[in-house]
Amino acid sequence: MGGQRLEDRAAYLERVARDVRLNIVRMIYEAQSGHPGGALSAADIVTALYFDIMNVDPSNPHWADRDRFVLSKGHACPVWYTCLAMRGFFPTKELSTLRKFESILQGHPDMKKTPGVDMTTGSLGQGLSCGVGMALEGKMLRKDYRVYVMLGDGEINEGQVWEAAATAAKFKLRNLCAIVDKNNLQMDGYTHEVLPMDPIDGKFAAFNWHVLSIDGHNMQEVLAAFEQAREVRDKPVCIIAETVKGKGVSYMEDVRAWHGKVPDHNQYERAIREIQGV
Amino acid sequence: MVMRKAKKATRKAFAERMKEYGAHDPSFVVFEADIGYSTYSYLFGDEYPDRYFNMGIAEANMVGAAAGMAAGGRTVIACGYGVFLSMRALETVRTFICYPNLNVKFLSSHGGVTAAIDGVTHQATEDIGMVTTLPNMSVVAPADENAARAMVEVAVNTPGPVFVRAMRDPLYNIYDADETFETGGSKIVRDGADITIVSYGDILFEALEAAEELRRMGISAEVIDMYSIKPFDKATLLGSLEKTGALLVAENHQKRNGLGYELAAFCLTNKPVPFDHLGLQDTFAESGNYYKVLDKYGLSHNHIVAAAGSVVKKKQAEVAFA
Repeated sequence: MGGQRLEDRAAYLERVARDVRLNIVRMIYEAQSGHPGGALSAADIVTALYFDIMNVDPSNPHWADRDRFVLSKGHACPVWYTCLAMRGFFPTKELSTLRKFESILQGHPDMKKTPGVDMTTGSLGQGLSCGVGMALEGKMLRKDYRVYVMLGDGEINEGQVWEAAATAAKFKLRNLCAIVDKNNLQMDGYTHEVLPMDPIDGKFAAFNWHVLSIDGHNMQEVLAAFEQAREVRDKPVCIIAETVKGKGVSYMEDVRAWHGKVPDHNQYERAIREIQGV
Repeated sequence: MVMRKAKKATRKAFAERMKEYGAHDPSFVVFEADIGYSTYSYLFGDEYPDRYFNMGIAEANMVGAAAGMAAGGRTVIACGYGVFLSMRALETVRTFICYPNLNVKFLSSHGGVTAAIDGVTHQATEDIGMVTTLPNMSVVAPADENAARAMVEVAVNTPGPVFVRAMRDPLYNIYDADETFETGGSKIVRDGADITIVSYGDILFEALEAAEELRRMGISAEVIDMYSIKPFDKATLLGSLEKTGALLVAENHQKRNGLGYELAAFCLTNKPVPFDHLGLQDTFAESGNYYKVLDKYGLSHNHIVAAAGSVVKKKQAEVAFA
């Protein structure tokens, strides 16, 4: 993708992200269970990673030199599963088995069951620690791969996130890039009401991270941030992405209840129409 | 089995062997949580600075990072105190290491009240219950220096997570340098005919001392070192019970969810025999001299002698009524 203009890459990714969003809603409706809000807020960023930024080989999911992705906010896994399937890690027809008995697509990510899932997650606040370990391995072996960890802005309530942040800075893990999907909602309400963590950028900066702040739904900004992050020499990078929970489905946007709720039939059809833009 | 006074704690013996083994096996790394001069992991760090990572006083993050490193196939030995590894970091160990069955090994020091002098905060008296409950986790507890040394290779070469319970202070040595150990193994360290006493770690020495006293009382006790707590050696236990028909488990741990509970459940199903169990009785211990603490909380050899005597009496009574 490197030779193409940023505008063209972004336009392509916006089309892919539309299909990603369609699949997220379809999967959750089919499963009658799951977390649409946080999957939709993360959709543009995860799409950019898998369809432009990350160096992966779907035919060899365990390729030692691949870039890694850890979805620390594991409940948003429909977005990850969709991107992996659309990228060719496994057939898209598997998406209809989300959360079902004996599926390769568990309710939260399972690295032993799903091709392309680099780390088991789902218990919040711990994925950044795993990312630190992966990045430390890459640094020790002098490999070029990069590690991307997506965090929710709710799960950074967990103290372990900040243990990991300090550790990443200690080891100068420039191959580690955290993305905070800052949709401003967590399960019980707005993040500033449940447990205020702002300023998040100031906190990561104080932990000696290089911090970038972007609009997480602006594909050009997303791409530019990941490219800038690659250039940082001696620090881990945190991208604070302002997003909207439920992005793309009007009645879900910025509504707390859509953290873990399934649309009924009418809502489902409306969601599909809205995402398709018809 | 001759008990020789030890000069070296099992934590140190493990760490020394870890350093030596690092030369044979370049594939593993060591994580430490800022107690490297207590677990003696610094010995490895001095020798292999590129394979040694001090993660600070942050055990949950340490084991999470260990999981991340192990996710690519690396073996990580994470060092710390049992209280913190098995409890503070427990959920990370469960979900990120045991669930994906990654090769993270734990050097867990200060098991039981062997850290008596440090007080309750540093006495891991619930660790066995915590970690044996986790699927995929193997758990071993070496009693002496040579056993502790052997556990390095046992841990590294057993697939999946392995928890090695070590002790703070030197006690006794019973094994020779060429003795072999494996997960699922055990050692009959004293033959007997009237009762089987199962123990591990430091209480093994109390059991051996008790067996000698029992001999003077006319009771022949067989003593098994169940150094592999999970999986445990069912065949050896059954063989011993076939002979003795009575079981006493003594351990430096809460009775609840310790090895004794596991063996009691096993025996009820497979080989019901008169049984008793010594351990902490739903209580915390306290600071003080190790032997005084053992005695106060019912873990010393005189308690084992009394309990063994009662179990043997019960067996004889049952035989008489049968």
